[in-house]
Amino acid sequence: MTLIDFAAPSIGSDFDTLRQEVRDFLAQELGDYPPELRARSWNGFDADFSRKIGDRGWVGMTLPTAYGGHGRSPLERYVVMEEMLAAGAPVAAHWIADRQSAPLILAKGTEAQKREILPRIAAGTCCFCIGMSEPDSGSDLAATRTTATPEGSGYRVNGTKLWTTFAHKADYMILFCRTGKSEERHGGMSQFLVDLKQIKGITIRPVIDMAGEHHFNEVIFDDVLLSGDALIGALGGGWDQVMSELAFERSGPERFLSSFALIEQLVAQVRHDPTEQQEIEIGRLAAHLMVLRQMSRSVAGMLDRGQNPLLQATIVKDLGAIYEQDVPRLARSLLSRPSQSASADSYTAVLAYTVLNVPSFSLRGGTREILRGIIARGLGLR
Amino acid sequence: MESMIADMAGRVFSDHVTHATRSKMAQGEWPTTLWAEIEQSGLPLALVSESAGGFGVAADDALGIMRIAGAHGVPVPLGETMLANWLLAQAGLPLVAGPHSVTDGSGLTLIAKGDGWSVSGQLDAVPWGRNVARIVTMVTHQGANMVVTLPAEGLEFQTAYNMAGEPRDGAQVALSLQADQVAQVDLPSDTLVLMGALMRSLSMAGALETVMTLCVGYAGERVQFGRPISKFQAIQHYIASMAGEVAASRSAADMVAAAFDGPAGHGPVPHLVAAAKLRTGEASQNVAALAHQIHGAIGFTEEHSLHHFTKRLWAWRDEFGTERDWAQTLGKAALAGSSDSFWEFVTGTAPKGVAS
Repeated sequence: MTLIDFAAPSIGSDFDTLRQEVRDFLAQELGDYPPELRARSWNGFDADFSRKIGDRGWVGMTLPTAYGGHGRSPLERYVVMEEMLAAGAPVAAHWIADRQSAPLILAKGTEAQKREILPRIAAGTCCFCIGMSEPDSGSDLAATRTTATPEGSGYRVNGTKLWTTFAHKADYMILFCRTGKSEERHGGMSQFLVDLKQIKGITIRPVIDMAGEHHFNEVIFDDVLLSGDALIGALGGGWDQVMSELAFERSGPERFLSSFALIEQLVAQVRHDPTEQQEIEIGRLAAHLMVLRQMSRSVAGMLDRGQNPLLQATIVKDLGAIYEQDVPRLARSLLSRPSQSASADSYTAVLAYTVLNVPSFSLRGGTREILRGIIARGLGLR
Repeated sequence: MESMIADMAGRVFSDHVTHATRSKMAQGEWPTTLWAEIEQSGLPLALVSESAGGFGVAADDALGIMRIAGAHGVPVPLGETMLANWLLAQAGLPLVAGPHSVTDGSGLTLIAKGDGWSVSGQLDAVPWGRNVARIVTMVTHQGANMVVTLPAEGLEFQTAYNMAGEPRDGAQVALSLQADQVAQVDLPSDTLVLMGALMRSLSMAGALETVMTLCVGYAGERVQFGRPISKFQAIQHYIASMAGEVAASRSAADMVAAAFDGPAGHGPVPHLVAAAKLRTGEASQNVAALAHQIHGAIGFTEEHSLHHFTKRLWAWRDEFGTERDWAQTLGKAALAGSSDSFWEFVTGTAPKGVAS
């Protein structure tokens, strides 16, 4: 394959009514929520907020009603997600569960796991973290060393996970680890549902990021016993399962809206009397965003049709990171340090926050180099 | 899956467009057989309704022909002719066979004269001016937007070329026109420039896909240091980066084509055209640079076909508004007014989707 197809989003996929409902809700809920907090984007954590949007039916939207979901399409879910992100709503408490844990459990979980977990995710009251990276296994996921050794009817887990976002708040972890020896690099891996609030022997330590914030953790498993029913999907099938999660993880609007709070602040600063250069660059930001939305909605449409658009998702994330990482540079090229005023102070605070966070945008969820390697493989180059 | 009309267009171009056809055209030789085949296929009428002689295919399907023509470097004004016929049909003017051009008519003045019209002024960079039967343009007359048909035989062209060797001729116009060569049309005055920008966006999206295909092919064949250069990570990442640009361009082209006959109205949608022309123009910069880096010295020769496509990309991004021009247009619109947020502006521009 040389060309990578992005089918146009299908008719009626804009869902104006739903979009307006979300906007009205956000205007009410976040009326005076400050720009500095909106800048946190999907790292803003607020369990009460997540429960409220769960009440509105906007978490687990695509899950079947039998499991507490709402049976809506990925395209409707897309509208809700992007409106939340554009407003800088604090969505972290349900984000990971909604985006990738719920689809994984729905696809691969046991009936008991689905009945137990999915309704709680849809209620917006169940927080997940992803135990994938380790101290010696970052981009190289196959170097995973954490083991789950069969013991009796269950498993004994030993090892350390790292960069585990919101492990200190989460109810559950989807643990990726080694369950067998395999000649194949990708064999012998499995996924487990780990109840972080109940199970003994798990130590969670904060890792503070360079912006001074705590969302990362180190999670240490010391002879942790899991029951047999914690296994998700097939024993030894973990690698393929993780790969199929990635289309959900990589294509969404969070992959190009992370700096959106800064764009809104910038527009507010220049809107009154824009220079020609400011008009040009704001137009450029708009054009790129219009195209990225088109691509991301296209991927949502493919998910809707049951396809696995991993390659397309990878492209959206690669292009999206370039876009969101360029925003601080652009803002600085368009505005000198604004004179002091309340709005200028907000702009300055959001700019500083964004500058400190953009390095992570091409690291989290697969580094730029890993993404390009995947694209190259998809094109038959490796 | 490509539509039937896309299949047909691809077949006609594959059969009749080669490196030699493109090279000869760049030296001034009009490809008579190619145009005859295109005329025979009916493609010039693809964008007009069935009652006007078209196939009755969806507008986005018909516009897709321009992308496929771009992918083949088709050295005739097919896109221009499709648009000229569409504009004539919109104005209720008669359609005739033969290649047509479309060009910006803002340098022309139209005066009513008896039953007919007199038109005068200067035209610049008329695509394929010397090769076409008629030039179709739009001129404002007493506040009304008029479609004007200029028979090319009545014009003296100052011959000029774009970077790819495609004719872009100037002409001093002083013509008397019949009543059936001018008609008012219910379209905004910037329609012609928007159509041109839409056409070049689609053509660039197609040419970009071909450049990418050439790169993947060449990188797989060219052996250095004992292995194909596609096995080097540096080359892989160049091509992966190119794939993103090409996919974005294709999406931009699809976006603007899908909206052409949409609920938002009839004809090109200004904000989407602006975004598409800008995005495909930027991709042209990035992709052409990477493509030449990957191809090395052979890609810099007349003999290799790469230049037919990179030159077109460099030429087309400048025609009907540059990236800078369209960025400013879009930026002004995004910053205008104070009630809507930037986000409301961006989401408000989205096409309503296509039937799947």
